[in-house]
Amino acid sequence: MDRILTANVHKDRSFALEVYEAGGGYQALRKAVQTPPDDLQEIVKASGLRGRGGAGFPTGVKWTFMPKQPQGPMYLVCNADESEPGTFKDRLIMEKDPHLLLEGCLIASYAIRASACYVYIRGEFHHAARVMERAIAEVYAKGYAGRNILGSGYDCEVVLHEGAGAYICGEETALMTSLEGNRGYPRLKPPFPAQAGLWGRPTTINNVETLANVPFIVERGAEWYQSIGKAPKNTGPKLYCLSGHVKRPGVYEAPLGLPLKELIYDLGGGMLHADRPLKAVIPGGSSVPVLTAEECVVDLDFDSLAAIGSMLGSAGIMVMDASTCMVKAIERITHFYAHESCGQCTPCREGCGWLERILNRIESGRGRQEDMDLLLDIADNIQGQTICPLGDAAAMPVRSFVKKFRPEFQAHVDRKACTVSSHAQAHD
Amino acid sequence: MPDVEFETRVDEIVARYPQPKAALLPVLWEVQRRKGYIDLDSEAWVAQRLGVSVAHVHGCVTFYTMYKQRPSGRHHIQVCTNLSCMLRGADELFEHLSRRLGIGAGEVTADGEFSLIRVECLGSCGTAPMFQLNDEFHEDLTLDKVDRLIDDLKAGGT
Amino acid sequence: MPKLTIDGREIEVEAGRTVLQAALSAGNEIPHYCYHPGLSIAGNCRMCLVEVEKAPKLLIACDTRVQEGMVVHTDSERVRGARASMMEFFLINHPLDCPICDQAGECRLQEYAMEHGRGISRYVEAKNAFEKAVDIGRHVMLDQERCIQCSRCIRFCDEVTRTGELAFFRRGESTVIGVVPGKPLDNPYSGNVVDICPVGALTLKEFRFKTRVWYLQNTPSVCAACSRGCNVFVGVGTQRLLMATQGQQDESIKRIVPRVNDVVNGHWMCDEGRLSYRRLYSGERLVRARTRDDDDATWEDAVRTAAAILKSAAGKVGLLISPRLTSEDMLAWRLLLERLGGGPVGVRRLVEGKDDDLLIRADKGANSQGASWIFGDATAEADLFAAARAGRLATLVIVGDALNPEDGPSVEAAARERIASVIHVGPFVPGDAASAAVLLPSAAWSEEDGTIVNFEGRIQRVRRCHLPRGEGRPGWRVARDVAEAARLEMPPWTSSAEVLASLAERVAEYEGLDLESIGLLGAETGVGLGA
Repeated sequence: MDRILTANVHKDRSFALEVYEAGGGYQALRKAVQTPPDDLQEIVKASGLRGRGGAGFPTGVKWTFMPKQPQGPMYLVCNADESEPGTFKDRLIMEKDPHLLLEGCLIASYAIRASACYVYIRGEFHHAARVMERAIAEVYAKGYAGRNILGSGYDCEVVLHEGAGAYICGEETALMTSLEGNRGYPRLKPPFPAQAGLWGRPTTINNVETLANVPFIVERGAEWYQSIGKAPKNTGPKLYCLSGHVKRPGVYEAPLGLPLKELIYDLGGGMLHADRPLKAVIPGGSSVPVLTAEECVVDLDFDSLAAIGSMLGSAGIMVMDASTCMVKAIERITHFYAHESCGQCTPCREGCGWLERILNRIESGRGRQEDMDLLLDIADNIQGQTICPLGDAAAMPVRSFVKKFRPEFQAHVDRKACTVSSHAQAHD
Repeated sequence: MPDVEFETRVDEIVARYPQPKAALLPVLWEVQRRKGYIDLDSEAWVAQRLGVSVAHVHGCVTFYTMYKQRPSGRHHIQVCTNLSCMLRGADELFEHLSRRLGIGAGEVTADGEFSLIRVECLGSCGTAPMFQLNDEFHEDLTLDKVDRLIDDLKAGGT
Repeated sequence: MPKLTIDGREIEVEAGRTVLQAALSAGNEIPHYCYHPGLSIAGNCRMCLVEVEKAPKLLIACDTRVQEGMVVHTDSERVRGARASMMEFFLINHPLDCPICDQAGECRLQEYAMEHGRGISRYVEAKNAFEKAVDIGRHVMLDQERCIQCSRCIRFCDEVTRTGELAFFRRGESTVIGVVPGKPLDNPYSGNVVDICPVGALTLKEFRFKTRVWYLQNTPSVCAACSRGCNVFVGVGTQRLLMATQGQQDESIKRIVPRVNDVVNGHWMCDEGRLSYRRLYSGERLVRARTRDDDDATWEDAVRTAAAILKSAAGKVGLLISPRLTSEDMLAWRLLLERLGGGPVGVRRLVEGKDDDLLIRADKGANSQGASWIFGDATAEADLFAAARAGRLATLVIVGDALNPEDGPSVEAAARERIASVIHVGPFVPGDAASAAVLLPSAAWSEEDGTIVNFEGRIQRVRRCHLPRGEGRPGWRVARDVAEAARLEMPPWTSSAEVLASLAERVAEYEGLDLESIGLLGAETGVGLGA
């Protein structure tokens, strides 16, 4: 497949407007502002584009939730808070091809009749934020943003907003609450963002990579998009983030549905150490259930992974070889959720810390026989009973690790030590 | 605390939003960029300027991990220790740094030059292990690279 | 109006109500912490999870709008399991403070743990430790460990008083509530956060460690600290052992909390009213009758002396009335004055500060409105004193207390000079007691049954929460005793209800009312001094 999303990233000064335009950039925007917004919504719907932030919700459908007649300001929010462990694709787009994102933002804003687009970027992405700032200034100077865009009569402001260190702000309602100047607490739904979002106004939140697909869809059409990947519901090019025990970690573009083994062994150069075979893979960022080596015969698309009980999520593929202690791995992941829990609702606030403490005991040789079942029960009591999916994101990995690698947990408890060779230490 | 330049900058920021409260995070960043950290006096000023209570501001300062309530070292090292970095030696990297600098997580060296903390995933898993030094990412680290970087910083580099 | 089924029972409610509101109104006590009818919905405690048919997950009842045909189960196995798991989460980091925590006996953690909890703890890890006994304001103490982060207190300060003193700090399981240095919780309604805190995280300094709540006798009454007339419960301590060790002879009020009245005070009351009972024990109480010549006078002696003074001054008697008296007391003294040939009446003007935009009224006369109905409008203190200065008064009867009993003389000097005798009837020893001819103790507002009228013309019942001190008795009884001693004809009242019947006969706005129609929430008359 020819590079689509990553066509520009290796060009010299790829971030500059003139480089972007030289490659055909902003033609899609020109076309879009001459097209009725509802038609654009239909095109994106027909393309089958699904959200690339983690939930995989059909983007065009999400756009149709917005009111057709604005009765006041409406907003597009670009979710650039990329914080899902194992994920680093949005950063690539923003640092190397910010105009691809901005063009997508402007087209999307126009399509949903937004009066402004807020790009919420995580505070740690300092470099990406400076690149985006520069690109936004270029876009205003050229008349692609602001008043009367390309003479179409459409006005749209673009504002960059920096976060300050909170994974939870990647959850769309917490993002809005944070943007409004509050602690990043998720909101109860309903109302949904398209009814009442930012400052109570209809709002659509889309991920960076999702928006980066939009110019191509507008330019080349829904049918073209459907020809990539697996029509009708798993279409388009995808950025896969490969990390962990592989020779060539990094972002790889391929059609949706790339076989996991191909990503690891062909594109990724195979396992880091020849004598340490594949043990486990988390396919979609740390919030999704882990796969055993045997389960890795699977295509990386939304429905294929769902069919085997996991998720494509943010396509953060984290590869673990035989040297990995699974207890330590899940302890580390659970520590993340406990650290990032906003604390608003009871099961997540209390339960994530509890899970971490139990895992810490097991990992350090102080586990009890009843601890594995206790972990599963706590995970069950968190999942589905929280305000937002962070609770689920903490529970699902714990459940999958304990279920699929139970003997390792058992060994830690029985022998009060880790049994994985490179990690084996006796604990008192 | 407020000087004309700062207040103008704050006005610019506030103008980007339909409600002044939304400027809270960006304004707190401005405070921290100038002062190095955010103290109670600054919180009070920001609260007054944006029309919120001081407790609300303090609640945000303590919620978001990047805001500092006291000065960090001149070289603030934030080591990612999440899964992908852990798989590529982040723990060993952290221990090495800790020994080399003589401080633990959350501490500042006596001369105020270095501080060291563990952070969560920085979106750099493809170039693990790595850390963020003040605003900049330092990726594809090895213990040697780290040693050379520390030597450099100690010799007066930035 | 949509109909839904809860646990097999069909209920009809107004559109827009939540399942929780529907259940509570039907007497189905779905357990909950963070929901409060006077505040916005938070949905964070997750205690009210219920099963709604056709919904895949359990839903929080507090934020689920009722829809026609909805079928809800609040007691299924799934729901019971969810509640047990929530209780477990609440308790794993909660300190075992019950033996030293004020909330015990009215604590939702205790109650729900007993009713919905697992019964045993599976938690063997260390509990989070935070600050205990933090002084966060004039009247409130905070224990951060006991807090369950329901956010009711924060919402109260944001939405009701709009003062924003309280906020969450940090995040996750390290989350605590607090105030920032220099901005304590000292708005005039701070005590309400203690009421709404479901656990012992927020406690009232004035009540801390005073008594266990199960020793309180709670009487529904009305606050008499201003003309709003917030509905309250007055809690009188009945623990005999404690009383003995504290050297108390009589029962006393340990705390006052607001009582819900949607029309008067909603769910709230101000701190001043909440703590107004303290004056009853700090000021010098008048407990025994006295005359100028005889400190040891019996009640009968004192009453006879007063009667004699009044009879001889008939036609030249004036009345200075406190607007804090019950209408019953006021009517009795009006009738007595009429029997003495009438005379000028002054109603004290107890005005302090300004009306705020919540509950506090500048007029601290709890029954100013009643006074204006009973005595008419020409009742300025100034006119009464003018009459005295002009030599038209031989005797002045002062009934009831001022705002601050320890204040100086009730009557300005120039007027006082021209009055031969002053008779004081009230609960406190007045500042100029030495110059009074007769002092007769009467009941304070919490020590007699009666009615008072708030500034909007609402007639409400104050109740006797405990006996008056010493020889004290209701003001209307004192009037009756004096009348009898003076051989003046007064209605043969034996109870405050009978005085109320007289009010219904003689005061237009009271027509047709009795104890039942006034009830616990008061009777509207639509005739008020104005909002």
